[in-house]
Amino acid sequence: MDHGGLAHALTACGRDGFTGELRVPGSPGGAFHLRDGLVVAAESPGAPGAEALLLRSERIDGEQWAELVRGTGERWPTAALVERGYAGAAQLRVVCLMALQDAAFAVVAGRVDACERVTGTEPHAPVAPGERPARLLEDAVRKVAAVDALPYPVRPDRERPLPMASPQQACTPLQRDLLAHADGRRTARDLAFRTGRGVYTVTVEIARMLSEGLLECAGPLAPVPLLMAPEAPVARQREQAAPEPEAPPSAELPHRAPGASGITEVLPPPTSGVSWKGFFRLRHGTAE
Amino acid sequence: MDHEALAREMRGLREEVTGITDTALAAADGMLIAADTAESIDPEGLAALAAAGLGLARRTAAATARGALRQTVTYGSQGCVAFYAVGDTALMVVLGDEGMDVNRLHRATHPALDRIGSILTEKTPEGV
Repeated sequence: MDHGGLAHALTACGRDGFTGELRVPGSPGGAFHLRDGLVVAAESPGAPGAEALLLRSERIDGEQWAELVRGTGERWPTAALVERGYAGAAQLRVVCLMALQDAAFAVVAGRVDACERVTGTEPHAPVAPGERPARLLEDAVRKVAAVDALPYPVRPDRERPLPMASPQQACTPLQRDLLAHADGRRTARDLAFRTGRGVYTVTVEIARMLSEGLLECAGPLAPVPLLMAPEAPVARQREQAAPEPEAPPSAELPHRAPGASGITEVLPPPTSGVSWKGFFRLRHGTAE
Repeated sequence: MDHEALAREMRGLREEVTGITDTALAAADGMLIAADTAESIDPEGLAALAAAGLGLARRTAAATARGALRQTVTYGSQGCVAFYAVGDTALMVVLGDEGMDVNRLHRATHPALDRIGSILTEKTPEGV
């Protein structure tokens, strides 16, 4: 299926006032979430989502994020993020919209195999009221054409650039980050995730830096060097003479006696009055 | 062992599944066989951790009668690490960023594991 097929499927969703998900298998592929015919979210393995952008921006760390998600039961806890001062409501809307448009770019820049409608799923970080499907796709197609028109056209998943300058020679924070993380293994898409920026932004900047000589590509087909252990252990079929000690056939787990390991003598005593000995096992729904 | 074929499989996997950042292959005892890893990763240490983690998971599956171990996945806020057994003599580690689709990874990896298992256990021709 070509991109015309995707455009047809997505605009049909808009015309039908579809609510649900349009899955787009491919490379990287992705999914568009619609409400009443408007695209409220999009995600793709080819572009960082709102959560990745927020976490990589270091406004909030992984543990604080996990605590908010646990506490609110929401996968995108907008109210709690604003309340705790991690981000403003407008900033969060912008992050979600950027992630949506960036995912659309990643899908369009890649290969589209099929389009299938799915209902009953909920997007993580929806925007309100949503984007018109035709406008969203036009924007993505325009961006792909803009990248192709650059003197050094780059595909998000193709070139794996090497730095030709030190990060100190960079003119902008984005250039500095790209020079620090480009290693000849990472594509524009990988660098977008690594630096917490949109894949379109990173793709364009890499194209510019390649034409300025700040980055260089060994070529899209150059093999990535692979480390082989000098004396690689040879995996063989297991010898019959050396059987692995079998787990006991019974389903019983090994029993341990409290304090048998001696760890309680090594570790300081717990400061709280709560002891692990207070735990009990539930068996058949009742405490032993 | 055909090193080129092994390299092709490992690179092929990284090309096929968006979001894979590194792969490593080790014997079941944690000795590194091959690594396609960034400089920031210590492949020997990763192989040893993978052997320990997979060994623990295999014993856990056996002790709780969960059948044959398929894989274990460690999820972090910035990506995940998947450990796969290659037969019962080797293992493979795949690192991915937060964009990697783990179900797609499993679908792509299982056929590759069979091929890698064959490469690892194939007999070296006599006199070579």
